[in-house]
Amino acid sequence: MIMNYKKITSAVFGFLLLIMLVSCDALLDTDPQQSISEEEALTTPGNVRAALIGAYSLHRASTQYGGRYMFLPDLLADDGDINWTGTFFQPREVFDKTISPDNSFTQSVWTGSYNTINRANNVLDALDVLDAAESVRVEGEALFLRGLAHFELVRVFGRAYNDGDPTQNPGVPIVTAPTRGIGDDAQIPRATVEQVYQQVISDLEDARDQLPATNGIFATTYAASGMLARVHLMRGDYENAAIEANRVIESERFSLMPSFEEAFNQETSPVEHIYATRVTVQDGAHEMRLYYASSDFGGRADIDILDQHLERYEDGDERADFFYSGGGALRTQKWSTFTNIPIIRLSEMYLIRAESNLREGSSLGDSPINDLNRVRNRAGLDDFDDDLSLQVILDERRVELAFEGHLLHDKKRNGESVGSIPFDANQLVYPIPLRELEVNPNLEPNPGYGQ
Amino acid sequence: MTYRYILFLLIGFFLLVENAYAQQSTLSGVVTDSRSGEELVGVNLFVEETASGTTTNLEGRYELTLNPGTYNLRITYIGYRTKNVQITIESDIKARDFQMVADRVDLDQVVVVGFGTRSRRDVTGSISSISGEEIQNTPVNTVESAIQGRIAGIAIQRETGKLGGASQVRIRGGSSVTGSNQPLYVVDGIPITMDDLSINASATNPLSDLNQNDIESIEILKDASAAAIYGSRASNGVILITTKRGREGRTQFNYSFQAGFSEPTNKREFLNTAEFFELYEEAARNRAIDDGVDPQVWIDILYDEINFLSAGEFRQNSETGEWFWRDGVIDTNWENEAFQNAGMFKHELSARGGSDKTRFFLSGAYSDETGILINNDFERISGRANIDQDVSDRLRIGMNLSTNRSVMNRLSSDNAFATPMQLVAQPPITPIRDPRTCFDENEEPIPGCTPQLSGDFTEYYNGLLHRDFSSFETTIFRTIGSAYADFNILPELALRTEYSADILTQNEEQYYGALTARGVGGNDGEGLGVSRWVRVQNWQTQTYGTYQNTFDDVHNVEIVGGFSAQRVTDSRSLVEGRGFPNDSFRRIASAAEILAGSSSGSEYSFVSVYSRANYAFDERYLLSISGRVDGSSRFGIDNRYGFFPAGSVGWIISDEGFMDDVNFVDFLKIRASYGLTGNAEIGNFASRGLFGGTSYGGFPGINPTQSPNPDLRWEQTSQFDIGLDFNVLGNRVRVETDYYVRNTRDLLLNVNVPATTGFTTQLRNVGQLENRGFEFTINTINIEGDFQWTSNFNFSTNKNKLTDLDGQVITGGFVNRAIEGQPIGVFFTREYAGVDPENGRALYFLNQGDNPRDTTVNPNDAAEVVVGDPNPDFTGGFSNNFSFRGFDLNVLLQFVSGNDIYTASGRFMSANAWFFDNQTRDQLNRWREPGDVTDVPRPTLFRANGTAPSSRYIVDGSYIRLKNVTLAYNLPRSFLNQYGVERMRIYTTGINLLTFTGYDGWDPEVNTDFLAGNIGLGNEFYSAPQARTFTFGIDIGF
Repeated sequence: MIMNYKKITSAVFGFLLLIMLVSCDALLDTDPQQSISEEEALTTPGNVRAALIGAYSLHRASTQYGGRYMFLPDLLADDGDINWTGTFFQPREVFDKTISPDNSFTQSVWTGSYNTINRANNVLDALDVLDAAESVRVEGEALFLRGLAHFELVRVFGRAYNDGDPTQNPGVPIVTAPTRGIGDDAQIPRATVEQVYQQVISDLEDARDQLPATNGIFATTYAASGMLARVHLMRGDYENAAIEANRVIESERFSLMPSFEEAFNQETSPVEHIYATRVTVQDGAHEMRLYYASSDFGGRADIDILDQHLERYEDGDERADFFYSGGGALRTQKWSTFTNIPIIRLSEMYLIRAESNLREGSSLGDSPINDLNRVRNRAGLDDFDDDLSLQVILDERRVELAFEGHLLHDKKRNGESVGSIPFDANQLVYPIPLRELEVNPNLEPNPGYGQ
Repeated sequence: MTYRYILFLLIGFFLLVENAYAQQSTLSGVVTDSRSGEELVGVNLFVEETASGTTTNLEGRYELTLNPGTYNLRITYIGYRTKNVQITIESDIKARDFQMVADRVDLDQVVVVGFGTRSRRDVTGSISSISGEEIQNTPVNTVESAIQGRIAGIAIQRETGKLGGASQVRIRGGSSVTGSNQPLYVVDGIPITMDDLSINASATNPLSDLNQNDIESIEILKDASAAAIYGSRASNGVILITTKRGREGRTQFNYSFQAGFSEPTNKREFLNTAEFFELYEEAARNRAIDDGVDPQVWIDILYDEINFLSAGEFRQNSETGEWFWRDGVIDTNWENEAFQNAGMFKHELSARGGSDKTRFFLSGAYSDETGILINNDFERISGRANIDQDVSDRLRIGMNLSTNRSVMNRLSSDNAFATPMQLVAQPPITPIRDPRTCFDENEEPIPGCTPQLSGDFTEYYNGLLHRDFSSFETTIFRTIGSAYADFNILPELALRTEYSADILTQNEEQYYGALTARGVGGNDGEGLGVSRWVRVQNWQTQTYGTYQNTFDDVHNVEIVGGFSAQRVTDSRSLVEGRGFPNDSFRRIASAAEILAGSSSGSEYSFVSVYSRANYAFDERYLLSISGRVDGSSRFGIDNRYGFFPAGSVGWIISDEGFMDDVNFVDFLKIRASYGLTGNAEIGNFASRGLFGGTSYGGFPGINPTQSPNPDLRWEQTSQFDIGLDFNVLGNRVRVETDYYVRNTRDLLLNVNVPATTGFTTQLRNVGQLENRGFEFTINTINIEGDFQWTSNFNFSTNKNKLTDLDGQVITGGFVNRAIEGQPIGVFFTREYAGVDPENGRALYFLNQGDNPRDTTVNPNDAAEVVVGDPNPDFTGGFSNNFSFRGFDLNVLLQFVSGNDIYTASGRFMSANAWFFDNQTRDQLNRWREPGDVTDVPRPTLFRANGTAPSSRYIVDGSYIRLKNVTLAYNLPRSFLNQYGVERMRIYTTGINLLTFTGYDGWDPEVNTDFLAGNIGLGNEFYSAPQARTFTFGIDIGF
């Protein structure tokens, strides 16, 4: 009797154990709730569209068009117009033109931009999931984002186009495929400056051809043209710069705001904005406000505007009043609210067209003097009544586009020094981040930043 | 004739009667615990001469019937020292009570091991235990603080003096770099939730939900053999906590009350206004000399700033240009403002008892503590019911249920301007309130007006605005419950099944009033509210069988086998709103604008099968083998299951024949163990390729967040331990020693990858580290008798080394690093070389180039090197217990030696007048003229001289602390019984009474909360000191 009891009990026990083990293996199948797995992520049209939004959401982050693409080069190029008084030492290094290779801000421009590129590549790899019509537009948007990221990278981490030989000078690595697993093949070398520009132009031209004329808050064909105008300007290809700028102007979808201040601090982008990043209280990054604005406007008051800058404005120029006093110094009004950040404004297109026409001796769309005067008149100034020279247009760019991230690039492409530092100095190029050099032996460091 | 017969009969009768009367002399009394006074049931009293005895009944009372004479009485009871007493009995009834002394390391004492118990003499692993009684009524909020200094091999350090804060607990050193180094906490068989669930960087401590007076015993499983039965979570050791259960006998009630007050263990010395002027005027003049300008230029800059910081009270006469104080010198002691009157009280009532079928333990407690820091307090109410029921002689069922509610007012992390200790940065010339808020236009004071707090004129955000206009309340509801059934299939075979749940719900409500605008960032003067809910549900079930038998009298076998499954689900929600009409409206429903709202969730699970076999031959040769297979959802699909075996052997040498003549050795055992354990405390989905959610412009998006690694597996630690335990001098001296080596491989590290991939790191198994160390514990009974003195001394050393990090250098803390070849967390920064006596400039050693010991004044020219180590060389404790006729005194000293501390706040407050932060008084020892030898450099206003991160701010933090002194008196039973009371104990306790250290900061027990981690060690940044607490209490049993 007892023997049977024992046998039965052990049999039952063993059986139960087996059942529990088998059924409980299923217990180990848990799934994340705020994430989905890589295999599922890009298999439906909804997910692919969402992945495109994911790329935009980084493209407008503070490391890119939410701030560092613009304010860091402005600090680097400054020669006495502003003063950096903030406690963060990373922008201070940029302002002092003594950037260390482990500067976390310049490093973040690199890591952030490549992250955006990877997100765009993920979308480009999954286009066949979408239907034909939508796929054309989505491809255009992804190429737009990828092209811009490579462009912004090469113009700060590589030497200027007019500095030495761009077909020899190292630019930045070009990445056109999404990352699936990380192995030794991840250690890609720098392409040349020219190769990067060719990739950028190819991406942006395809984008221009595939993007619609309007697209809500997202990229449009005119945003692509506007960017192309900038890219061609950087390469000294004035003919194409004029063509692209002209295309934007002649679309007649954009016009200058009646007064300068209406172009900024608007909750929805006015007609002067050709492309802007959307910033709202629930969602958005605005590092421009963080550093330029006084604490009354929610900023850290780290950038003071000095008298040398104010001397650039003619008497009667409305733009000279677009400043205020806060936290013991003068501040710019451009970046004082947590609202959309204009990336391309129509006045820049007029100035590009004017400059390109002047240099080429052409008058595509309109004469340079007329374009210049449009911008001047909007700012409350009378027509320019002297000999029109290149310097006049460059000076106009300086006051119209101040603190919008153009200064370093304008100086370099025109061979202008920053104070006593020549345009082709090593210090005016960001160092390749130290952490990249450490994990990728195929990357060559930038000269002047020896470890 | 008949008459004589009758007389004889009568005499004989009387004689008989007399004899019988004489033989019925009784000896009776009550046997109690000498410390708590609780009566002990089932104590054996054996009379040697008659070879007979008795046991105490349910009231602890015994009765012996004896002829008059002298007898040797031997009194024995498990867990207590045997008492041998000589008794002389005369012809009357004699009453004699006995007090039994608890035997801390009694060999027959039962020790809880995972899934069962074992007698201490048969344990072959390394297990330390401490009884609940030793930590009873320690006035601290969390269990781990109460066991500091009492056990070898476990290092416990509180991060900060804030109530409800976390401690760092390490058993035999940390075994991971990125995973958790916290041991596994098992309460009544349930691995409980121990995550930090705080909304800010100041961690919460889930152990504060456990009422320490409910604890019966705590066992610490330190080596692989003891811990491997917990497999993949046991690399950092296991702490088993067992709560009190009922017992057969009269229901014993216990009421306990404790109240006391607290103060900071230490305050520092800062400059007063006169000293401030002295130092800063000199700094200004020095700056003028350096710049080659008139000293008045810089004195003016200084005085202008002082005018601003003093809210205009220090001002210049516009006609004469003289500077003066408008209404008397302002001299604020800002450090005092960080503290408040602190105290606590606690009420507790418990009942324990049962019959032969049912046994129960019930308790309820309420405590309320006001902390030493402003806005910091802790209120807790808890209850427990542990019930066991014998359904039949084979089946027993039971349950444990504890429920707890804590409400805390918590503080910002040390890094926030609002943290109370940062008030010391305000200079003494700054008044606490702005006098200008009570002036009219002619600067006449307005009668009856109270000046207001303001942030307009302070050097830093005025933290007192937070005190008055903000709140941060954390409420935690915790329920831990389990039910079990224990069935004896056969006398040798028992089957037990358990089901348990640990449910933790935490709510944090923060409100920042409109006046706290500055310092909160973006508050825009409108009030900001945050509400957050977290709920963690931890379910577990386990079933195991135990087979125990002895064959042929010498082969003793015990086999345990079973399986368990656990799932933990975490869900959270958060909402943030802004724009409140005024501070009376604090709920988000009243916010004008919702800034953020989100909810999230996560889960993980474990499935395991385990088994252990213990074999003892002739009770002398011991062998134990265990194995566990664990599967976890956290690991890569290719590596889900891991196998964790362990084995140990023991030899009780003192039982051998050849030891019979060695009389001075009472017990000698040698043991050794080896095994593998794992560390599964990593993120829940670390092995997968993942896309996460994001958004842009109100549109939802997804983006790649993690690159997959299907190979991801456990970190594995292999541990070897060898131990020697011996008792000598009649069991009056008992020693346990251990030596161990722990090697962890497959360390999970975030390896840097090229950012061109779109990712910056990937979690991979690379890397190895090693811990080795030695533990020593000695318990002695120095004096026995009416006056008793026992001691415990425990000592541990651990040496940690990162043997392989794949060439990575990982940063943490301020200047901590994980560097190959070094212990984890070493300080890596410039080496300070003191002050140049010629010119007062701070000097640093170059530590590079041809002449590395040359010095430079430029910190950027000095190479960074390893200059300190926050890991202690050794730790331990020394406690002494004295008792005499109802009085007892327990004194505990705790010590830590060889640990360095990086006082990061020194860069602001011991910066020889660099900026306007108030300075520590030692800065007055500054360099003044050529030839001065000092380590405080020359003060220069707004120019750094010696304030770069360097070893200037690294100090030895070794300390000895008088941790706990408890003096108690147990009132005599005879007196109490008249009032129906069984026992009463009155006591007074002091915690952290004295600290002996060379460290000049607030408290050498420190690790700033916002940076505390595996690598962030030994950092101080405006970290609050611990509390020194004095309490008085009464325990009444009836």
